[in-house]
Amino acid sequence: MDALLLAIENLRTYFYSRAKRAFIRSVDGVSLDVARGETLGIVGESGSGKSVTALSAAGLVTAGPGVIGGRIELASNGARRNLLDGLEKYARVTERDGRVMAVEKDERGWRKHSETLMTGVRGKEIAMIFQNPRSALNPYSTIGKQLVETIRLHTNFKGEREAKERAIHWLDRVRIDSPALRFDNFPFGMSGGMCQRAMIAMALSAEPSLLIADEPTTGLDATIQSRIVDLLAELKAETGITTLLISHDISVIQRLSDRIAVMYGGTVVETGRAAEVLAPQAPARHPYTAALLASIPSAETIRRKSYLQAIEGEVLDTIDVPRGCRFYGRCNRVTEAIRDNCAGLEPPLGEVAPGHKVRCWLYPAAGKA
Amino acid sequence: MSRTILEVTDLHKDYSQRRGLMSMLTGQGRVIPAVDGVSFYLRENETVGLVGESGCGKTTIGRTVLRLTDPSSGRIVFDGRDITKMSRAELRPLRREMQMIFQDLDAGLNPEMRVRDILREALTVHERPGDAEIASRIRELLEQVNLKDSKLANFPSELSGGEKRRVGIARVLAVRPRLIVADEPTSALDISIQAQVVNLLRDLQKNLGLTYLFISHDLPVVELVSQKVAVMYLGRIVEMGLAERIAHQPRHPYTGILWSSLADKQNTEVSRRVRNVTVERERRAWGVFDFEQPASGCRFAPRCPLYKEKGRPAICTDAASEPQLRDVGHGHVVACHFA
Repeated sequence: MDALLLAIENLRTYFYSRAKRAFIRSVDGVSLDVARGETLGIVGESGSGKSVTALSAAGLVTAGPGVIGGRIELASNGARRNLLDGLEKYARVTERDGRVMAVEKDERGWRKHSETLMTGVRGKEIAMIFQNPRSALNPYSTIGKQLVETIRLHTNFKGEREAKERAIHWLDRVRIDSPALRFDNFPFGMSGGMCQRAMIAMALSAEPSLLIADEPTTGLDATIQSRIVDLLAELKAETGITTLLISHDISVIQRLSDRIAVMYGGTVVETGRAAEVLAPQAPARHPYTAALLASIPSAETIRRKSYLQAIEGEVLDTIDVPRGCRFYGRCNRVTEAIRDNCAGLEPPLGEVAPGHKVRCWLYPAAGKA
Repeated sequence: MSRTILEVTDLHKDYSQRRGLMSMLTGQGRVIPAVDGVSFYLRENETVGLVGESGCGKTTIGRTVLRLTDPSSGRIVFDGRDITKMSRAELRPLRREMQMIFQDLDAGLNPEMRVRDILREALTVHERPGDAEIASRIRELLEQVNLKDSKLANFPSELSGGEKRRVGIARVLAVRPRLIVADEPTSALDISIQAQVVNLLRDLQKNLGLTYLFISHDLPVVELVSQKVAVMYLGRIVEMGLAERIAHQPRHPYTGILWSSLADKQNTEVSRRVRNVTVERERRAWGVFDFEQPASGCRFAPRCPLYKEKGRPAICTDAASEPQLRDVGHGHVVACHFA
């Protein structure tokens, strides 16, 4: 069996800003692997491209031009399928100096072909849970009905009765009290935490091979957030489901992920085992990851009432991407020795230790890669 | 000791809810006590943090003490003047002294106006300064909030989240307030920008002698910026005291749960007891914040770990003995029979 469940290679998803007459380079050459049974956490700020990466993988990008290149390989039934297979003929990308100048895309042809590729994949092989569960649930239908629909569509429980039993089983597995009674509840009668539990039940009830959790705790209350994180951790231990977890909340990522990818300005700037990337004293670390960790008040900062170490400047706007390192303008670790590189050349994602990669000119290993 | 700038006594704010055929026919709605008897005070140049889950009444308190909404009962004294019943005209000169920073980044930023005009408008609301003075005040404001003057010609839609927040703060500073209610000032911002804004707010306090009522659900930030913290639950303050005591030696079980849920997310050591309790609690409290069927007695009892541990003592659910805040030393007050 293939050890990798999902392999994203050099994914590029662009949007077009009419106001600025330029491309928004939301995802700009992202490569990620997710092994079977593991949780890969993608952490980054707004505009870093983390959600768009996930939406691209699920074939849910609708605005133009959208996905314009790359491979998204999903292992299913012992074979690897490229979810972007054959799509290149619908888009013609004109590049100059490595920059995309124009995209001609047959959007209708692309959509039609993409839908064919995604049939039997989205919902079945890849299930998603989103931020704000209440709006992702159908307000006109009971959660039971919505679950039964998913189960009958995607699993072998085709009969009404057995699907209902299965639905109640899943409500119970996400620790919803008296699941048989809740089966007939409408989403509006339930709290945000309960809605998120129902969403998780719905996603898992299709028995997918990959779960994409896009900001699953954002917008919930602090005490509820930690319960949802607990639930995800328990379900991971019980089912061993492969998960692509997206969050801006490092504490959530830290708790649930085996491996982490830090994104900034549409690219992955650091990736590695969670313990290594977030270790208090990491031997090698991207300055952005370091700054992100430092901007959260530590016990020490609070005790001394000292200033937070803020990252100067603003989050990179992916319309106007600089030539060199995308973090150069905000970086506090540029040295004279590497300044020319930082300003003029985008660093490659180089290996600093086995399985740990950093996109930064500070690390010679990265430069050689 | 610095003097008291704001004193709130037994503040109540009820909202009436009309739902269903009966209330439509009778014209009577159910009354929801969003703020249910809250008292606290703020000393000049001090920050009081107000924490609690959503729906507990934090924002309602913030709006009510500034008289952006009228209290149902209670007393609000600002700088020695009772403003509870003041008319709009009487309040007007005081408005400049008490301002609010809203959670919404776009609040107060007219999308049709450039940053320069937004600030100019704020500067001329209460006074009629000359053009030269306006220009110098705008320069001063930009410096205070650390914003480039190239942004003056921008419309709000052309600003990033952090810049919008800075303009919003500059707009508030334009009227030279003394008290600022900051309602979740960082929650709409990215992590790296949050830190900048927290630092900025602390600098402004130091330089301008501001007083903050800091409403937030971000506990580490509240602990960092506040001298005192008040913890709210369902419209009431259940515990209040010095920030480090509330964070590290909480006496009310709810405060303990709030702080441990934070630690919990980070997978640090947390007692099994607290875990079980919160699961239990979420299962019971279906609507979580059920103002419509408040528990009689202590409103936290249905979620309380101590209540269960102590074998569900009758006093906790006795309608006649809702726990009141009492002093446990060091200016620390708790509303729990067992604290």
